[in-house]
Amino acid sequence: MVESNVYFTASLASLIHDIKVGKIVGSYSISQAMLNHFLSTLNESQWSTADELMTIVRETGRICENALPTEAILGNIVRRMLKIIREEYDELNMPQEQIKQTDDSQAASLQKLVTQNSEKSVEKSDYKALYTDLRENLITHLTEIENELHLSHDNLAQQASQHVHSAELILTLGYSKSVEKFLKSVPKERKFEVVIAECAPACRGHLLATSLASSKIDSTIIPDSAIYGYMNRVNKVILGTHSVLANGGLRAASGAFTVALAAKHFSVPVIVLVPMFKMSPVFLFNYEQEAFNLVGSTQSVLPYNTPVSQQVKAYSPAFDYVPPKLITLFISSAGGFTPDYVYRLLAEMYHPDDYNLTK
Amino acid sequence: MDNAQIERYFLNIVNNDNNMSYGIAAIKTLLMVLEKTTFVTIQELINTIKSAIKVIKESGKPITSISSSCELFMCFITISSPKIDEMYDMEEVKKIMTNRGQSFLRKLLASREVIAKNSVDFITDGCRILTIGRSRVVYEALKLAASKNKHFRVYVTMSMSSFKNENEGEMMVQDLKQLNIDASLVLDAAIGYTMESIDFVFSGAEGVMENGGIINRIGTFTAALCASEMNKPFYVLTESFKFSRIYPLNQRDIPSTYKFIQNRNGEKANIHPLVDFTPPLFITLIFTDLGILTPSAVSDELIKLY
Repeated sequence: MVESNVYFTASLASLIHDIKVGKIVGSYSISQAMLNHFLSTLNESQWSTADELMTIVRETGRICENALPTEAILGNIVRRMLKIIREEYDELNMPQEQIKQTDDSQAASLQKLVTQNSEKSVEKSDYKALYTDLRENLITHLTEIENELHLSHDNLAQQASQHVHSAELILTLGYSKSVEKFLKSVPKERKFEVVIAECAPACRGHLLATSLASSKIDSTIIPDSAIYGYMNRVNKVILGTHSVLANGGLRAASGAFTVALAAKHFSVPVIVLVPMFKMSPVFLFNYEQEAFNLVGSTQSVLPYNTPVSQQVKAYSPAFDYVPPKLITLFISSAGGFTPDYVYRLLAEMYHPDDYNLTK
Repeated sequence: MDNAQIERYFLNIVNNDNNMSYGIAAIKTLLMVLEKTTFVTIQELINTIKSAIKVIKESGKPITSISSSCELFMCFITISSPKIDEMYDMEEVKKIMTNRGQSFLRKLLASREVIAKNSVDFITDGCRILTIGRSRVVYEALKLAASKNKHFRVYVTMSMSSFKNENEGEMMVQDLKQLNIDASLVLDAAIGYTMESIDFVFSGAEGVMENGGIINRIGTFTAALCASEMNKPFYVLTESFKFSRIYPLNQRDIPSTYKFIQNRNGEKANIHPLVDFTPPLFITLIFTDLGILTPSAVSDELIKLY
């Protein structure tokens, strides 16, 4: 069924393969690879109208979502692409005077319900008109987005001085590149300490500790079981995440829920760093759904070559769901916001028709 | 048109169609009034509609959804568009408004399907759902899920109120059983007992408040409180015309016209409140035809309109 799909090109197949086998690792690299893929799609001449291009992009998104259900970032980039295409098309399509009158959210709203009548031409254009400027505009816009992506970690890190102060004890979990950069950008005059929960079984917290130590930041590694015990003395928790769900909850590394619960108990603020593309318009339906959790190798939990492993089942989930009420603040390149505000940002970043790519 | 005719028309619609929401029946009535009145100025039209709304509200039906849908209707009468401003011919204006009204009504009637489609992904195989009394929107959602061959159990609370003598929960169970859905009745007092054996709660709403809280049949607040304590998601399924601009902070703040039915003499016909207010804190998500919203997104929608 997939082989006969004309949108499943060789370059897309190799991209998905690289992500699956772990050649491209980390949200930043995956985003960059995907954006490059779209840039080459734009340059190829298989499309002439916006509608055709949107179909290509949408089908690419559908294939990616089916192949890698847990990589929400791919879907987010696809949705961003679709939004850009719609924006550029609308700008070219509409006469100049009208642009100011339309509101920026295309979402259905009570206002639309009340003011739309059957005589007025349908506000949803079908994107089928041909514009020669479209390709150039899109390429420019896409390169802007790529720049934004390069700068997203830096923009986040610039806000570090507002949130980390002298003599503070910060707790973090595992190894997040955003958190690493964030902590390293705190002005050198401020002396603060970092406690890193190692995040077994991969224990990537050790990598973060080495990295921070090289920047002369005091760091301590603790096992995951000590998180609750230590939380009493912690001033702030700063976490990275895999993705942010539409209700403001997180899909984060396994162990994040423990950290968040312990923090709530001791009234410690939980700050989550969200670089671009990690915000996805999907909701958590339940924990069993295939797209939510990824199960990793249990070799490090219970080694395969022991006699016990034949009688006992081991389980190594990759992700945790953290409900929005446990999170104090999200920090993105544009500034801070609370979990309640996520819906607003989603409405600005993506078009509501694109929220669901698989239907 | 005189008041008795308006009231009769409204009650006729409500009594003939058991599945129609009171709010939509009110809008149909107002559209009929719009078509049948002759007016020379817009102000005259607005006054006619206002008095018609007053008649509908005094007809003895619960007014929560009637209130919000009538306000929405008033809004669309008074929102001017460049076309209407330029016109001096009232007949033309009437035609435009009637057209708008018809498409408005069509969208509202289709809203239940949209809500059902949005919520069907949340119903997974083997899940156990608690639902409060008889909500037609929840019924549509469950019907759609059943048609997709999903297997789930539904527990329906009796939701006894002093308004009707019929047992609302009983009627819902019968309707669900006809769709071959595994449904059973639960005493209102047994909500706490049942809460540990269910996965989530589906509730309808008679009105959605500006802060994201809901007004619904009495007993909903209790269920939401239990659900929150037992960490079960509490989902509300409701149409967008129920968004209303009132901002109650506690149960006493609910206007008494919502809580008690008053007949024309001003006597209170019931001593027990019909509805209660559930604060947004206890609500996980609100499913509407405008999409899946968090309670904080509701005020944004209202601001865009008003």
